[in-house]
Amino acid sequence: MLDLTAIGDALSILSSSYIAWIYLIPGLLIGLFFGAMPGISITMAMAIFLPLTLYMDFLPAIIFLTSIYTGAGFGGSVPAVLMNIPGTSSAVATTFDGYPMARQGRHNQALGVALASSVVGTLSSYILLLFLIAPVAAVVLKMGPLEMFAIATWGMLLLGALAGTSLWRGLLAGVFGVLLGTVGMNTAGFVRGTMGVPWLLDGIPTIPAMMGLLAASQLLNLINTHYLIEDEADRKISFTRIIEGVKLAFQYPTIIFRGATIGVIIGAIPGVGSSISNLISYAETKRNAPDSDSFGQGNPKGVIAAEAANSSSEGGAMATMLALGIPGGGATAILLAAFAMHNIVGGPSFIGNNKDIVYAIIFSNFAQAILLLFVGLAFVYAASAVVRVPLRFLIPSVLVVSTFGSYAIEGSLSGPITLVIFSVIGWAMVRYHYPVAAVVVGLLLGSLLEQNLIRTWQISRGDLSYALERPGALLIFALMLLSIGITSFSVWRRRRRAAAEALTSEEIGS
Amino acid sequence: MKDHDTPPQSGQRRIDWGHLALLLLICGVVVTYLLDARATSLKINNLLLVEPAAIIALILAAFVLPQCFRRKSEDGDAAADSPPENWHNLAKVAALAAAFGAFALSLEVAGFDVATFLFVALGLYICGERKLWVIALFSAVFTLVIVYGYQMLVPYPFPLRIL
Repeated sequence: MLDLTAIGDALSILSSSYIAWIYLIPGLLIGLFFGAMPGISITMAMAIFLPLTLYMDFLPAIIFLTSIYTGAGFGGSVPAVLMNIPGTSSAVATTFDGYPMARQGRHNQALGVALASSVVGTLSSYILLLFLIAPVAAVVLKMGPLEMFAIATWGMLLLGALAGTSLWRGLLAGVFGVLLGTVGMNTAGFVRGTMGVPWLLDGIPTIPAMMGLLAASQLLNLINTHYLIEDEADRKISFTRIIEGVKLAFQYPTIIFRGATIGVIIGAIPGVGSSISNLISYAETKRNAPDSDSFGQGNPKGVIAAEAANSSSEGGAMATMLALGIPGGGATAILLAAFAMHNIVGGPSFIGNNKDIVYAIIFSNFAQAILLLFVGLAFVYAASAVVRVPLRFLIPSVLVVSTFGSYAIEGSLSGPITLVIFSVIGWAMVRYHYPVAAVVVGLLLGSLLEQNLIRTWQISRGDLSYALERPGALLIFALMLLSIGITSFSVWRRRRRAAAEALTSEEIGS
Repeated sequence: MKDHDTPPQSGQRRIDWGHLALLLLICGVVVTYLLDARATSLKINNLLLVEPAAIIALILAAFVLPQCFRRKSEDGDAAADSPPENWHNLAKVAALAAAFGAFALSLEVAGFDVATFLFVALGLYICGERKLWVIALFSAVFTLVIVYGYQMLVPYPFPLRIL
């Protein structure tokens, strides 16, 4: 599994020159800043700085870009915790418990928990990558559209687990999201639901829609509140509490390890990546937790699960990119572009001929993860000041930042218009207890589900027995059914126990 | 007999109009989308996911529909389910949402600088700030920072009127 000669060469490359190291901290800071800016994605941050890497050697260039990747991976969780705005799509699950923690005055702790989970998640994903890069490459090559459909369906069914008070409303919100996610031209070339609007041909812009549903809708709801945290005593920015959060995360190694494993596996699948891994990890942790009822109300375990998974997806996506030359998402596509700018072609031949470089990239990521802990602490401390800003200033300001961010994605009004429409829809859904996160997940997965279903249909020519030829997909479906079965059973058992306890306390009372 | 043991009086139902309107909106969007997709083509590659998903959405909506009609005796539950109408708060939300919509639509016409200044000023007023000098100063400084900040970061030009 490990090539010791290549590892030795990698260490000598990294120790022979300081050049590769000087880009680490600037890269992390750029990533943190951009990741924390709503509407500016990891991809955009990396794209903006890609031209700079032309003037660097290959290894420093890749280290600089992966530092931005690592920083932005955590940066997205800062607005997710403080303002319920996932800075990136991979921070959606972080909002579920991070934001309620912030509203309860535990923002310092939430950010500490998120930071430590991200650091450990990134670190463990690269350790896993070190050992698993070869086997992961072999597995990813065998993934067909049916397997992708199975994974996307799994993501969809998590909506049941994520749903709020009513299962029907949760599922309706999810299916509604999926339908919205299929608006525009599908892979077979059919155009639906665009109402003649040209920019809808590419589908509803997901990032502005997500910002509207999750953030702007909440801001409209907060209009009669004075501060994000009502109690003045809780509004303190405390370094000690941030550190407490860091320590708290380390008390749940199982959750971090589970999240990191899910993150690496899902992150390695092209096109799926961190936007789903954080949700799967969150749902799995919720399912296994004895206090699963408190998820969504500020349980730090939810933040740990989401952050460990989304940061470890980076390792998984890097595995696919390095081993196969296939970008799992926008960020790895930029890295591949950086490879091309230095006349290097990624893929099996690259990993075969340049194992020392691959190991050097992995080792530099260890350093990035460790440095992220310190740089992130300072960043989080500064960013926490937002809870001290009166909401009458924060609400219009964040709405404007979101609007600029949504405009920046395409450079057209499509983003701001989508943002406004979805913020009103989101406000109404929040008001009547529909889980808006379910719409977001549906929206993200809609086109992926349809694309893979059509491909499966085309390959199998409508023959259902095709599924029997795909044991991988059957295994995923079986795991999914098992997971749903266990969830239903544990919910049923918990309700029965609660009913029995209520009966006992009534008997004692009378 | 205790109060909560009183049997519900038949015929006394509370209609949650807001929830009903939202549900009808969702169903309207789903039906319109399905009809549009069917009008585009009836081929399997077009309807493979959309048609079953739309039908499932309508079935789910049918399950949710009874939740819009509650017996008055269930008021405790109903109150928890949908917030009590506070017309003053709703008016503030509507005003801010309308201002937000106008802001988004006017960005390219009025320029990002002017539109931002006006929206932030109006937003501050709607959200409760009453000192005019604070509104003017904050809106101006915020507009400068956001316009120049985003211009530096983003490769697209932002149409401006004054700055």
